Amino acid sequence: MDCRVLSIQSHVVRGYVGNKSATFPLQVLGFEVDSINSVQFSNHTGYEHWKGQVLTADELHVLYEGIRLNKLNHYDYMLTGYTRDVSFLEMVVDIVEELKGTNPSLVYVCDPVMGDNGAMYVPEALLPVYKEKVVPVADIITPNQFEAELLTGRKISTEKDAVEAMDLLHEMGPDTVVITSSDLLSSLGDQYLVALGSQITVKADGTKEKQRIRMDIPRVDAVFVGTGDLFAAMLLAWTHHHPNNLKAACEKTVSVMQHVIKRTITYAKEVAGPDCRPSPAQLELRMVQSKGDIEDPAITVEAVLL
Amino acid sequence: MLHVLQFGAWLLKLPSRIPVWKQQQTEPAACPRAAGSRCSSHAACADSTDNFVRETEMECRVLSIQSHVVRGYVGNKSASFPLQVMGFEVDSINSVQFSNHTGYAHWKGQVLTADELHVLYEGIKLNNVNHYDYVLTGYTRDTSFLEMVVDIVQELKRANPNLVYVCDPVLGDHGSMYVPQNLYPVYKDKVVPVADIITPNQFEAELLTGKNISTEKDAVEVMDLLHNMGPDTVVITSSDLPPRLGDRFLVSLGSQRIVMPDGTSTTQRIRIEVPKVDAVFVGTGDLFAAMLLAWTHHYPTDLKTACEKTFSVMHHVIQRTISYAHEMAGPGRRPSPAQLELRMVQSKADIEDPAIVMEATVL
Repeated sequence: MDCRVLSIQSHVVRGYVGNKSATFPLQVLGFEVDSINSVQFSNHTGYEHWKGQVLTADELHVLYEGIRLNKLNHYDYMLTGYTRDVSFLEMVVDIVEELKGTNPSLVYVCDPVMGDNGAMYVPEALLPVYKEKVVPVADIITPNQFEAELLTGRKISTEKDAVEAMDLLHEMGPDTVVITSSDLLSSLGDQYLVALGSQITVKADGTKEKQRIRMDIPRVDAVFVGTGDLFAAMLLAWTHHHPNNLKAACEKTVSVMQHVIKRTITYAKEVAGPDCRPSPAQLELRMVQSKGDIEDPAITVEAVLL
Repeated sequence: MLHVLQFGAWLLKLPSRIPVWKQQQTEPAACPRAAGSRCSSHAACADSTDNFVRETEMECRVLSIQSHVVRGYVGNKSASFPLQVMGFEVDSINSVQFSNHTGYAHWKGQVLTADELHVLYEGIKLNNVNHYDYVLTGYTRDTSFLEMVVDIVQELKRANPNLVYVCDPVLGDHGSMYVPQNLYPVYKDKVVPVADIITPNQFEAELLTGKNISTEKDAVEVMDLLHNMGPDTVVITSSDLPPRLGDRFLVSLGSQRIVMPDGTSTTQRIRIEVPKVDAVFVGTGDLFAAMLLAWTHHYPTDLKTACEKTFSVMHHVIQRTISYAHEMAGPGRRPSPAQLELRMVQSKADIEDPAIVMEATVL
């Protein structure tokens, strides 16, 4: 495979979020990953302490210039996630647009990270940038329910609402939308959360069709950090291998997540001890230990075609 | 209606490639090496045929302080993936972030100051996670940065006295320095004394000891001098010594001093002849140091095997790289730096389980 990804995300010295979460799994699957670190922090911000430095929009531009001057600005994929700065995000958009100029087939996988559970955890000024500039150039997006509602201005209370929201998101740009988690009730009970996906594909005769799926995913009673970044990276990988089959791509992606999370929670509880809540350090994803599952995930969750 | 599988039900379980070192399992308690192991739950054991066995999960944490390049494989980009693929947890502090290495026509980026390095380390320390089994460092250009690295190593050694510091004392090659001259006394007086494993080339070994290497005997004396300065393991990664296998090879040497419980020491010295390749690679030294870390971890008192594995990995990666580079460049054309980037992700299987393609002789 000779597939090159440009990933612009955070770097943490210790642990697995941002580029730390995305790079190893993609490399293990054979992707060439070029990574621009938007920040360098000691660890993610869920620990008691964190320290480090951020990259400015200008510095991002300088790094891209180096790549461009060497005529190496050719990528098959671009991948972005958590960003806190408007000018940085706008520079990302400029880079995507230029890269799409050098390779019109480039696929931009974007996790439009803005918030969760009804509240934004990035500056509000990022919403219009995502809505008007980022999502329109994205090909695959992985919002959670809150982010899907924010971007479309539509509340999601039923599966029908979710499908309409995904249709609105398609109209904004991306042909592939995965709502990674929602409050919708699962038919399997409250130990499950519902994720949904929608993909526009072009058939052999040139007509377009939509594949819509729903997945009921077992909940885990812990707060993980970096799982969204891993999800977006693995969705990139598995839609690459199954470009017209969102069902297959999502089954692989969600299954990888399950394996990594299960291994992580088992380990965390073991090191924390009985009746002790695991710490953020103990809950870091067991990424290198999950290499086998990343390479070849056994399918543990099936997607239902809507 | 389609069923949803229950969590934990395994539909498909395809066998994954099982590396040589996973094929035998033994009870950790029975392992005579476990007592001398460096990592908290490490159990490496060699039976009489030198097939070593180990537990299914390693728990070994490396702090690697090296460069980051957006594109390509040098510094942390060269070291992290291979170590992770072999099961090491790699915490990485990026000393710089450049678009690519400096052998290209253009390069751009930012450097980390000694203060910023300290700040990052402080974050780790405040969270009480400043516990490492290994530290790994390479190319540095700044004395205050290097001095901060030494402070960090010393503190980490206080937190874990078994910590192993693997240091590539990058100073220059082919008779000239390519870092600022004032790094030399810092390496000599501060860094090497706290290092446990060093990987100088011949020029760096000569610089550090003040002694010229013209014969194998000189090299052995130089390695003994380096042992006296600190590190118990020294590998001279390349030299001008005449190879027995002919001029298509270069000579590397290694020396490992093992101190016995009764205070006496033995030294295992090896010589290995490595095929030369007609190209300039960047990042190979960083890959070498990382893989020497990994293979001395698995073979802590067998430098011969550790070096055979390490040099073999290098050979596989370099061969794959040069083949690809020539293919990309086309016949009769010199490959570019971009085309010569190490084929790292493509070499995953060789990294996990390198076929041994050269033998080291014990001197």
